[in-house]
Amino acid sequence: MRDRESGFLRKPWARKGPTQGDQSSRLIGVTLTANNNCPIERSTFQVEYEKEVDQGKQKQGRDNSDPIGIGDRVLSKGIAMSLNVTQRQRLLSGFLAAPTMSFMLVFFILPSLLLLLYSFWSARSFVIDPTFNIDNYVRTLSAAGFWRTGVTGLSNGVWTAIASVVLSFPAAYYIVYRSVNNNAFYLILLSWFSSYLVRVYAWRTILGTNGLINTTLMQFGLINQPVEFLLFSPFASVITLVHIMFPFALLLLVSALRDVKTDYIEAARDMGASRFQVLTKVIIPMSYKGIVSAFMFTFILAAGDYITPQLLGGRDGVTNGLLIANQFRSAGNWPLGAAMAFITLVLFVGVYVAFTQLMKACRLSPGRRYHN
Amino acid sequence: MLRMYLWLYVLFLYAPIVIIGMFSFHSSPSLVFPFDGWSLRWYEQIFASRTFRESLWNSIIVATAASVVTTLLGATVALALIRIKGKMRDVIATICAAPIALPGLFLGIALVSGFAQVGMNRSLLTVTISHVLYALPFFVATLRSRIDYFDSSLEEAARDLGATTWQSFHLVTLPILRPSIVGAAILVFALSFDELIITVFVSGNESTLPMMIWSMMRRTVDPTINAASMVALGLSLIVITIAGAIFWLQRSAAISSRTSDLRVEANDQVDSTTEQRPQSVRPVQSFE
Repeated sequence: MRDRESGFLRKPWARKGPTQGDQSSRLIGVTLTANNNCPIERSTFQVEYEKEVDQGKQKQGRDNSDPIGIGDRVLSKGIAMSLNVTQRQRLLSGFLAAPTMSFMLVFFILPSLLLLLYSFWSARSFVIDPTFNIDNYVRTLSAAGFWRTGVTGLSNGVWTAIASVVLSFPAAYYIVYRSVNNNAFYLILLSWFSSYLVRVYAWRTILGTNGLINTTLMQFGLINQPVEFLLFSPFASVITLVHIMFPFALLLLVSALRDVKTDYIEAARDMGASRFQVLTKVIIPMSYKGIVSAFMFTFILAAGDYITPQLLGGRDGVTNGLLIANQFRSAGNWPLGAAMAFITLVLFVGVYVAFTQLMKACRLSPGRRYHN
Repeated sequence: MLRMYLWLYVLFLYAPIVIIGMFSFHSSPSLVFPFDGWSLRWYEQIFASRTFRESLWNSIIVATAASVVTTLLGATVALALIRIKGKMRDVIATICAAPIALPGLFLGIALVSGFAQVGMNRSLLTVTISHVLYALPFFVATLRSRIDYFDSSLEEAARDLGATTWQSFHLVTLPILRPSIVGAAILVFALSFDELIITVFVSGNESTLPMMIWSMMRRTVDPTINAASMVALGLSLIVITIAGAIFWLQRSAAISSRTSDLRVEANDQVDSTTEQRPQSVRPVQSFE
């Protein structure tokens, strides 16, 4: 009729509605079963349904174009739904998705494309000249400064990600398999909401020349001069970033480990695997996705952060993120900054590939070896 | 041993914050132990500052606006994701999750280029827009498990029983999603209240609280920063605590209504008057 699917869409009994007739209730068996699980809704709706019947609204709504039709979808999918309803649903979900999708288009996709376009233009004294060239890329790639800061940024990110994942893993393990309640987990997640700047500032207070560590050490007579390397070094950036990323990494690892059921671990133990073998051959491969995402998220957030290196990194701690940010704030060469940003994104992808390959090389990723 | 490790982990997370909190009540400007005594002078100083009060107010406005807009956008797209199946669904879900996988720096510079291109002046409006973009993926991710495991046969069952689309939405779908939506909205408030990396690029003359603290930090080492950061921290914690309280109250209300409903049901079996069932009862599965 309307579609190839609608071959026997309008069965005579299909018009009866679900509450009457044996055949229909057999055919919408799935629906009813689902319904039985929640007696409350069913009763609410029965009441609503009866109300509607009483008010005589029933006829109007049902007769024109909204039959509870049961097509051959019932046979294929076990769901009672007429094509008409499907079409309406499709339209409705289109309407529902439209505002968000247009928001994303206007404020995310188009600006990103514009940025890509910018990176192929050039700027002379704050005026952007839209002629296509790759000077920005050549200039960035040949600048030693970019590579030096890039290495700092990437190493900040990599060290932060390694430290966050490796140090959060035992905590996540304890929370998932040992702990009786989730109090520690909630406490850790709560610290995620302690402001980002507060933590940067806290570490500056702790590591500074007149900070807690130095004054404490001097009071105990362990050192005579304040130790300078603590603050304004990449080390200060990394420890602060690790502190910031911990809750995030832990959340991702906990949700990954929740998928590794204890049955698998017990089975492996029963078959004589040592604790270390269980870890490397069962737990890590089975939570591989979560580990990779924890690593990548902390890496991206840490390597793309320019506030912490600016406030704590000192001269050695300047990252390419800071360089890019400065192009868009003070120096004002937006096209150059855009080119740097895209090169940085490519480097991030490189780190992702390197990390997954490393996991594979260490035989920690789930792979074909299960079948070999 | 693992247990001790966990508490060390928690200690590492909280110790710096506690130290800052203590120094914000320190009576002398020095930031070292031993402690001289307690006072509220830094809080008095910071609240006397007009810039501080204005930025605090701006932050509250932006965070509220961002969480309202994000909730509207995120909830509608979640409803769409429940209904749509197949490839289209993947596309929408990927677009909604994409900003999370990019550094904030990238989003900031992309947005500032976009705003400049269309000639939009940087103001609290641009800040709100950027916060919505930043928070939307978190919102959708929080609702994700609800969306993925949403049993769409519940909605179909409601419609089969004669409910209109609106009825099936506000009597079935919304009660199931509501706790997650409330939680996610509050999460968005906290994220927006704390966001700095993108804000730096898109804010105009009116600064938000993190912007103000950041500029203070770049200029001086000043004990009032302690107090200012504690105010920021305190507000986030209050909001999160409210969220927790709402969750807990809803959960216990649901459990108690569930048990009372069972009691009513037991009575019903005796005198078989099914109409007597309380209509206000909401489905309880939504709380797992």
